[in-house]
Amino acid sequence: MQSDELARALQAGDETAFTAVFNAHADKIYRLARGLLTDEGQAECVVQDTFMRLLTKPHLFDGRADISTWLYRVAYNLSMDMLRRGQKTVAWDGETASLPEPLVLFDWRQLPEASLATADLHEQLDTAVSNLPDKLRAVFILREIEELSIAECAAVLDISPSAVKVRLHRARLQLRETLSAYLAETHSPVRQPS
Amino acid sequence: MTLTCQDLLQHLSAYLDNELDAELTAAAEAHLATCPNCRIVLSSTQHTLTLYRRHYRRHLAPDTRQKLHAQLLELLSDER
Repeated sequence: MQSDELARALQAGDETAFTAVFNAHADKIYRLARGLLTDEGQAECVVQDTFMRLLTKPHLFDGRADISTWLYRVAYNLSMDMLRRGQKTVAWDGETASLPEPLVLFDWRQLPEASLATADLHEQLDTAVSNLPDKLRAVFILREIEELSIAECAAVLDISPSAVKVRLHRARLQLRETLSAYLAETHSPVRQPS
Repeated sequence: MTLTCQDLLQHLSAYLDNELDAELTAAAEAHLATCPNCRIVLSSTQHTLTLYRRHYRRHLAPDTRQKLHAQLLELLSDER
């Protein structure tokens, strides 16, 4: 269904159209909210509020944007409001600062595949993302996890494509540094007491 | 054109995403061929992204999903 047809169906209260949108997008919205907020309950609230917005104010989706972009944008704004209310925002104004030099030069290629599939490492993936500044986290999730294009990320976040690229680059490097530090620490040879 | 480690770092994401022009790509590859540290930064960045793409995809729990959908449909019927 084209965006404008979908907008008309949703504005008419079409249950089938709504269910199709919910089924196609609920997990995506959850992943973005969960990544931004880290709290499962809050992320579920964002999913509910995002779709409630579509139900109670269907005229706000007029079909000019893709429904996916529209839902991501609403969910992003709701998540950021929630973070601000909880005073949990991690500010970042490093758009033009010089890139930090990589500090940990640990070669992952020497590690067996199994050591990259442990529960501890998966927990580290969560922690590393949650420690990113909000602006970097949002770009990273949309681009790397949700696989949106640079243009789509820019539309959701209402920033320029070049700002998306800058933030994505910073996020990737910060996550590389954090995970490399963790792996270097956990895979360094055991020191024998002297 | 020759690149320093700092230049390579600056262009690392664009290199990974195949967004560099031919001249910069060749310069990045020439630098990587002679710089073990930058090779480590490149490969660990690639591994980082692979790990996230493989292990970070979450889904709503089926019962939560069903509950949310039912609540929303109820709201839709109230709205009509």
